[in-house]
Amino acid sequence: MNWIQVLLIAAVVALLMYLLRARSNAKAKAWVKIGFALFVIAAVYAILRPDDTTVVANWLGVNRGTDLLFYALVIAFIFTTLSTYLRFKELELRYARLARAVALAGARTPEG
Amino acid sequence: MDIDPSRVWIIVPAFNEAQVIGDVVADLRSVFAHVVCVDDGSSDTTAETALRAGAHVVSHPVNLGQGAAIQTGVEYARSQPGAAVFATFDADGQHRLKDVVSMLERLSRGDVDIVIGTRFAGSTISHTPPLKRLVLRAAARLGPSSRRLGLTDAHNGLRTFDKTVADHLDLTMSGMSHAGEFIALIDENRWRVAEEPVEILYTDYSVSKGQPLLNGVNVVFDGFLRGRLRR
Repeated sequence: MNWIQVLLIAAVVALLMYLLRARSNAKAKAWVKIGFALFVIAAVYAILRPDDTTVVANWLGVNRGTDLLFYALVIAFIFTTLSTYLRFKELELRYARLARAVALAGARTPEG
Repeated sequence: MDIDPSRVWIIVPAFNEAQVIGDVVADLRSVFAHVVCVDDGSSDTTAETALRAGAHVVSHPVNLGQGAAIQTGVEYARSQPGAAVFATFDADGQHRLKDVVSMLERLSRGDVDIVIGTRFAGSTISHTPPLKRLVLRAAARLGPSSRRLGLTDAHNGLRTFDKTVADHLDLTMSGMSHAGEFIALIDENRWRVAEEPVEILYTDYSVSKGQPLLNGVNVVFDGFLRGRLRR
């Protein structure tokens, strides 16, 4: 098995774990910021020395740097989609509770 | 009936049911003193019609879904003085009054906290369309909670339950997935549950208002995600 396969599978498993225990707490938010910082550093490096991505790709068993970036993009996209979906669900619940509070405050009885 | 009807609250979630809600409420009011209709952001005259027929009316400012409407109705009813017994009843006229009465009688024996209606038990002849029947029965058998509890119909809109259940009920699935969530809550809270055979009246109106079978996909997916969200 290629290294890229190992990495991709690990990424998918990590996504699953994230989905299973997604709870926004301070720790998770801190990790997102660290991840973003690493992403920026990597992006700057890849822009400055584009051919190095191919070198890294070859280490991992991928022919072209472009393909490696593409794989990373797919994983990042799935991650973003899932976290947005969960976030929306959470907001919907809060929205429902807000609407419920409004509804209960304006309850009407048949006596008038 | 052993239960004092003045302590019973009937919860009727309704979305654009102005055509039938008046009759449904009036019918319920002939037996029960307290009916609360939760108008789920209807654009027609559902709220006014229900109010005129003698129901308490709680109106969602926007449409949220049946699960949210039931939760709202329960929260309203459980805060009323003297409320001890609760029932959920669909607004589209597919349930029979006498089924609620027999379910309340079952509840009044005191050995269970909640009674759920079932289309598929006992000797009642079920008029459920064959494909719908197959899917509903499969859902009851495949759902971990409904299987553990031995339930045969996991998506019946008729339920009667006591104050314990009402006080702790916290439905978070706003849409049609609340039925499965209700069953899961029964399982998690170890409420004692029983089933009572009921008949569903598949009138042209109730069929036209019913949910398409494909919605089952959403229900299954929501069930998988349940509990992954912060409460």
